[in-house]
Amino acid sequence: MRKNKLLLLISSAAVLLLLVGAAAEENYLREWRRIQAQGRSDEGSIPVQLRQVVNPGLGVADRCVSCHVSMGPGEQGVRGAAVFVPHKPVVHDPADYGCTVCHGGQGQATEKSDAHGDVHFWPEPMLDKSMSYAGCGTCHVALHVPEQAQLRAAELAFERLDCYSCHRVDGKGGTVRPDQGGMEGPNLSRTGLVAYDKEWHAKHTAKSAAASDGPWKKAFRAVGSDDLTLLDTFLATRVAAPQLVSAKSVFLSYGCLGCHKVSGVGGDDGPDLTRAGFKDPGQVSFEHVPGTGSMANWMAEHFRAPASVVVGSQMPAAAVSENEIRQLTFFTLSLRRKELRDVYLPKDRIRAAKFGEREFSADGATLYGAFCAGCHGADGHGRRLSGLVSFPSIANPDFLAIAPDALLTKTIEIGRPGRRMPAWLKADALNADDVKAVIAHIRTLSAAAIESDPHPPRWVKGDAAEGKRLFSSTCSGCHGSYGAGGEGPALNNKVLLESATDHYLVETIKRGRRGTAMSSFLEPSPVRPALTQSDIENLVAYLRSLQGGKS
Amino acid sequence: MTPTTKDALREFSDNLKAVPRRVMETAFRTGPPTTDRTRSTFVFGNVFLHLHAVRTHRWSLKWTTTMGLGIMSVSAFLIALVTGVMLMFYYKPYPEAAYESIKDIHFVVPTGRLIRNLHRWSANLMVVAVILHMARAFYTAAYRKPREYNWLMGIGLLVVTLGLSFTGYLLPWDQLAYWAITIGANIAQSPREITDALGITDYFDPGGFQRLLLLGSDMVGAEALIRFYLLHVMILPLALAALMGVHFWRIRKDGGMVRPADADDQLFRQPREEALPIFTEAPAKTYHLAAIVRGRTSNVGRGPENTVPSMPHLFYAELGVLMVTLLVCLALSLVSDAPLKELANPSVPENPAKAPWYFLGLQEMVAFSAFMGGIGIPSIVLIGLALIPYLDRETEGTGRWFGGPGGWPLVRLSIVLGLAAPILIESFVIRFGWLREWFPSVPQLVITMLNPGTLLTAVYAFFSMWCIRRYGSTRAGALALFTCFLCGFLVLTIVGTYFRGPNWVFYWSPSEWPKH
Amino acid sequence: MTTQAKAPRSRLDPEPVPRRDWLGLSSLWAMTGALLFGLLGLLKLPKAAVLASPSKKFKVSLPDVLPVGEAFVPPGRAVAIYKDSGGIYAVSTICTHLGCVVKANAEGFECPCHGSRFSANGDVTKGPAPRALPWLKVSVSGGAVTIDEGVVVPQGTKVA
Repeated sequence: MRKNKLLLLISSAAVLLLLVGAAAEENYLREWRRIQAQGRSDEGSIPVQLRQVVNPGLGVADRCVSCHVSMGPGEQGVRGAAVFVPHKPVVHDPADYGCTVCHGGQGQATEKSDAHGDVHFWPEPMLDKSMSYAGCGTCHVALHVPEQAQLRAAELAFERLDCYSCHRVDGKGGTVRPDQGGMEGPNLSRTGLVAYDKEWHAKHTAKSAAASDGPWKKAFRAVGSDDLTLLDTFLATRVAAPQLVSAKSVFLSYGCLGCHKVSGVGGDDGPDLTRAGFKDPGQVSFEHVPGTGSMANWMAEHFRAPASVVVGSQMPAAAVSENEIRQLTFFTLSLRRKELRDVYLPKDRIRAAKFGEREFSADGATLYGAFCAGCHGADGHGRRLSGLVSFPSIANPDFLAIAPDALLTKTIEIGRPGRRMPAWLKADALNADDVKAVIAHIRTLSAAAIESDPHPPRWVKGDAAEGKRLFSSTCSGCHGSYGAGGEGPALNNKVLLESATDHYLVETIKRGRRGTAMSSFLEPSPVRPALTQSDIENLVAYLRSLQGGKS
Repeated sequence: MTPTTKDALREFSDNLKAVPRRVMETAFRTGPPTTDRTRSTFVFGNVFLHLHAVRTHRWSLKWTTTMGLGIMSVSAFLIALVTGVMLMFYYKPYPEAAYESIKDIHFVVPTGRLIRNLHRWSANLMVVAVILHMARAFYTAAYRKPREYNWLMGIGLLVVTLGLSFTGYLLPWDQLAYWAITIGANIAQSPREITDALGITDYFDPGGFQRLLLLGSDMVGAEALIRFYLLHVMILPLALAALMGVHFWRIRKDGGMVRPADADDQLFRQPREEALPIFTEAPAKTYHLAAIVRGRTSNVGRGPENTVPSMPHLFYAELGVLMVTLLVCLALSLVSDAPLKELANPSVPENPAKAPWYFLGLQEMVAFSAFMGGIGIPSIVLIGLALIPYLDRETEGTGRWFGGPGGWPLVRLSIVLGLAAPILIESFVIRFGWLREWFPSVPQLVITMLNPGTLLTAVYAFFSMWCIRRYGSTRAGALALFTCFLCGFLVLTIVGTYFRGPNWVFYWSPSEWPKH
Repeated sequence: MTTQAKAPRSRLDPEPVPRRDWLGLSSLWAMTGALLFGLLGLLKLPKAAVLASPSKKFKVSLPDVLPVGEAFVPPGRAVAIYKDSGGIYAVSTICTHLGCVVKANAEGFECPCHGSRFSANGDVTKGPAPRALPWLKVSVSGGAVTIDEGVVVPQGTKVA
């Protein structure tokens, strides 16, 4: 029995010791307790307790304020530890919205690495500090942002017209006249969110005319109508998140929606990106990613060399600068929409959900940049990617001069079945008006004006058999046997042959396409004789014979 | 005569002053347990303690007799019970709220993290303890007459313990829980393997019925969660308590722990400082005769008295085991958190989706035949276990470790075979595959009948039969079979735990698992 | 508890206690202490450390024009905020009787549950309510008004 008593004594003492240790650890040694113990407010030291921001509407109970005390409601005056910095002034009060809605991370946690989401089984790590504004994408998925060139022009216009001399926007500009009651003009950082006076120009002009001295006289000048449009674009995109707006415009310039869907709109070649910002770091490989194992780094490397981080990826490397890669990463991280009650959703998102409005600016240039630029290039001059067929140049002046609108419309709407060009006229891509806008934009990509076509659509009468002979000797090297395509586009394509006029086909062969491998076949070349008009008509007759089936 | 007012008032105040003393006296009527009589009454006069015998045989108190495993099982259960009730203050058994409530318990509930860890570790320890306890009872042949029925109660307790562990597994509603239970429910449906092969599923579908009963729906969802919660906090604990009551009562009725026939002689050779005969003078009554019964009481025919008062000897041992169990659970809880993976996501299966560790051995076999691995072989095992006391009617070696014909050498041989057979079979299957790889169109029923699990069972059964013949004893066969199955369980569980990766493919280490 | 072998004698006699069983006593007390400590720790669990209700301190954005005597009740909060020449003040609208939410009316407040009436500054004019409605702490910094439901200030405290 003595042994048993000893056993009881030792084990009980050990249990007591461990329990005391556990109690001490929980009640005194927790990190948040040690941090709060340093806190001081105007009334002295702050009470040490678990703190949280609760918002049942958003479904959050964020305990970040147990360490970041000064970001809690009413606690801005607390100081004493490095972590007690008040939150930067932002549109949404963190004391109301909580923290995780924008920053990600694990709000319920009370330990640092758990709270920051850096633990294995939390799939939504906190956004890197430099990418915090990507968190706006949780709710703001429908910002009407245009593509890069327009946005850049708008930003430059605002600067060029010297609006910054009186107005502060996104932390830049504005003059303080303390003796005249503060800022010269209102802060325009949020004109995209709240209504602004659309008659501002008339009023500015009137004030300027009435003034005898001062900034109204000296700094303001009347603005022409083109610049007015640019300024309106600029003001419409001021939502207190310039990084996000800029990143979105980059996204809308490189044709990402041509392969990927976001919010149900886009192509089908690549994965749906609607919630790409929530990609789980536990599900990806960081083997070839330089730097720390953060999702931001992974995504950036994914843009530089997709196949190295995603096995079997067909995505071509983004031919963009490092800065643009950073912005594309930023935007992708912002694709983190959450379904919330309507009262928390911005109006443009509600309109997009209920009325089918676009989640981006729907002008032709932006639509082109969003859907087409990925394959056809931002400048429309096509792309050649290793391992894939090359995508034709659609801004080629020789092409645009003779391609009728009907051909362009049909090609875009129905695509080229059997080839890489998908049909874009569908509910989750473009509607008829969009297609018109895109074609109008394409026409602006080259100076060539569309020529009139005097002939009827089908006028060629040639010898198809002779044409076939000519084709295999002259054309099949690039266009493949039977016109199946190769270096050059497929010519046996149903949609092409249905929508192309004979004039188009004849002129293309005659003139070629400058800057591409399609030379003018009226001219002789070292490797083949010149073709005559009747040769060309025979070829066209042969091509027409391909219509409706392979030969 | 009635006392005067003055006396009555004095009496009132005297009574009031005597209240503390009287409360103690009326609550603890037997007084401090300093003599054998008071020690006796301390035990049988107390509602919580009177399940114990007043005197305990010294043999039962030896550590080598029982290893304290039974008390360890009860202790682990008590810890799980108390911590479980505490967790019920905050746990919410609805899919939208369950995961969050566990996170809250871990992060903000005072002592929540420790309580949850304790619950998880004590539950795991309980499963280990009951299996080891069963092994001890088997190896000391404690199932023999008159303890056969208690052995059956023990098997019932084992099943309920595993059920408690399994139902609790779902409650956190994380990926681990959701997919483990998805597998479990589909195993419950595996009788369809047989009924489909026979073509009678439309008329007779016990598999589908079992699954529907478990899940309350055709998918793992809110209905399943509330059913598992009900089972886990109410039905199964009550069943466990009832079975425990019978189990302990039976121990009393069977005369305490099993002892070898020569236990008293063996003890004679050991110091007897605490053993003194009860009756040295003319016996004065020590306890009442409750009834006249037919037959012998458990003490008739016994040799010299070798018992000691349960209070304090047995209680020190029990309390010692309790505190050691608590210490182990506490130490584990302080260094290792109970797992919690991502929120359950029905569209993203875990890969590999693994059952709780005690079912991983079965899951190894389920990989070939869901029915055999999930229902067939476990049923065979349970029935086999239940039959042991009824097939082994011998008496040699009762109460002795590895007692009976064959003894330790036979057990040693069985360990070798019991480990070698599954290792060889597993190696073969991992290297060469099984029937489906060689004959893609072989009917499933063939694989149900002929798969590594049934093969292993057959090997063990043949070995057991051989032992029966070789040693001329059923006990030898039982020793062999039990040992083999224990080893098989061990090997299969280890393989399922450490060497199976995504798609249940064999990997030597998790670092070799393919990355997405 | 005996530890020595003794000459056989009747065990019914009370035994002399030779010396204290230090080992036994200390082990039992150690066990009691450990279990008691654990139990006390367990008892801490039911008292929630954080409450699932919104914070007691909250910001309000008052309407630009708030006539004197007209109450502004922030949505979802049981506070009535007033603004007059003396400044901004906030009166709790939780009836001091049994907790129903009182309604502001021309004379002050009235409670629909048991008919308590309060004057405009919270004093009880009628009904079972035992105490006046408390005034809550208001702080103004910049343009933001913060109410702290957890801090009661004396009646009449107004913040400009």
